[in-house]
Amino acid sequence: MDKLIHLWEVTGINQMTPGQGVMILIGMLLLYLAIKKNFEPLLLVPIGFGGVLANIPGAGLAEAGGILHIFYTVGIESGAFPLIIFMGVGAMTDFGPLLANPKTLFLGAAAQFGIFATLMGAVVLSYFGIFDFSLADAAAIGIIGGADGPTSIYVASKLAPELLGAIAVASYSYMALVPLIQPPIMRALTTDAERKIKMVQQRHVSQREKIVFPLLLLILVAFLLPDAAPLLGMFCFGNLMKECAVVDRLSNTTQNSLINTVTIFLGLAVGSKLSAESFLDMATLGILVLGMIAFGIGTASGVLMAKLLNKLVKAPINPLIGSAGVSAVPMAARVSNKLGLESDPHNFLLMHAMGPNVAGVIGSAVAAGILINYVGV
Amino acid sequence: MTASNLMSEGLNLMLVGMGFVFIFLTLLVIATSLMSKIITRYERDVGTLPEEGIPAPTAVISQAMSKTQHANDDKNLITVLSAAIHKFRSRHK
Repeated sequence: MDKLIHLWEVTGINQMTPGQGVMILIGMLLLYLAIKKNFEPLLLVPIGFGGVLANIPGAGLAEAGGILHIFYTVGIESGAFPLIIFMGVGAMTDFGPLLANPKTLFLGAAAQFGIFATLMGAVVLSYFGIFDFSLADAAAIGIIGGADGPTSIYVASKLAPELLGAIAVASYSYMALVPLIQPPIMRALTTDAERKIKMVQQRHVSQREKIVFPLLLLILVAFLLPDAAPLLGMFCFGNLMKECAVVDRLSNTTQNSLINTVTIFLGLAVGSKLSAESFLDMATLGILVLGMIAFGIGTASGVLMAKLLNKLVKAPINPLIGSAGVSAVPMAARVSNKLGLESDPHNFLLMHAMGPNVAGVIGSAVAAGILINYVGV
Repeated sequence: MTASNLMSEGLNLMLVGMGFVFIFLTLLVIATSLMSKIITRYERDVGTLPEEGIPAPTAVISQAMSKTQHANDDKNLITVLSAAIHKFRSRHK
């Protein structure tokens, strides 16, 4: 009888707390969104499943010694996984459209206003006592507006590890929602005539320029902002491997098998942070709302900057490509293209929007470097 | 950290951060444009790199290999041709 009672005591049903039950349902919801609605499935499937695993009562997968905890310590606490992913992203990025029109870098800069405005929003909410965010928390929440998953995870792991689960989930779910969040803002800020602006055909960019660019960026980072060097250094390395074309084997591994392997473990490790104690909190709700606002402000400031540039520069710039300045490669560029085609079926903006899009990746990595430099001492 | 202190820190970070992002990317725009100009001028004299990259050094070896292969092919061809000629002549005597 004692044995039977013992067996009952170790079952999940007996040990389950209501919080764990809710978290398992949330994990299942993420899986549903990923599988059925196709929301960033590459990340939300591992994150959702990791979330379910982490909340199995008594198994302790996410506690010290558990496998998910090990993945977290090895990959995220050390900062390794987001950096390896960034290397892969670098190896998949084509800087051609950016080099053809370097002024689009300004759009990538403007869209980072979303990060800092949201940071301010989080600080104001704490000021009025609605939430209790420190400056480091606020910075980590703001980076959601950079619309760049690995950057968000990297910054959160450095500045606010206890909020990492919520920040990663917010940042990846909003990236999937870009096609829903951005268009209304873009339509509201532009006139039909502006949406019809045709941009000049891009010049051809030579291979030498593409090889020199990552090195140039690296030198600039090294001189001005060493705090962004881990992120942008890996990014430039990945890109150089792709463009120099003499290490195709390395470049192919980086952009395929390596990034896929790391994505699996990154997702599971993020899932381990979806424990009931830290996720079922009012702060999570605040993070989700602030993240949405960050996306909106980033989009708006990108579009407004594009309108300003259009006034200042001779070559016409369609304001729709401004919204691509939030990273979310290549989703945001596709949204710009789609809206352009709606106004004029012959106006293809995709290649023009890729410029601000990759500029956004650089911009958010720079912003991340500043946040880490300023807050994390 | 007191609440008002947090506010001023936040505001400060926003201004410094946004300012720095713009300065950094402005410098990058200048540096990139300059780099493109220099390279375009340089390539006018030298010519562009092939898109698929610099040919790998193994190309030399493969060329040498193909030379011997060519020689073999020629030998085979001559054998076949002379056999054919031989047969042709022997038939049309």
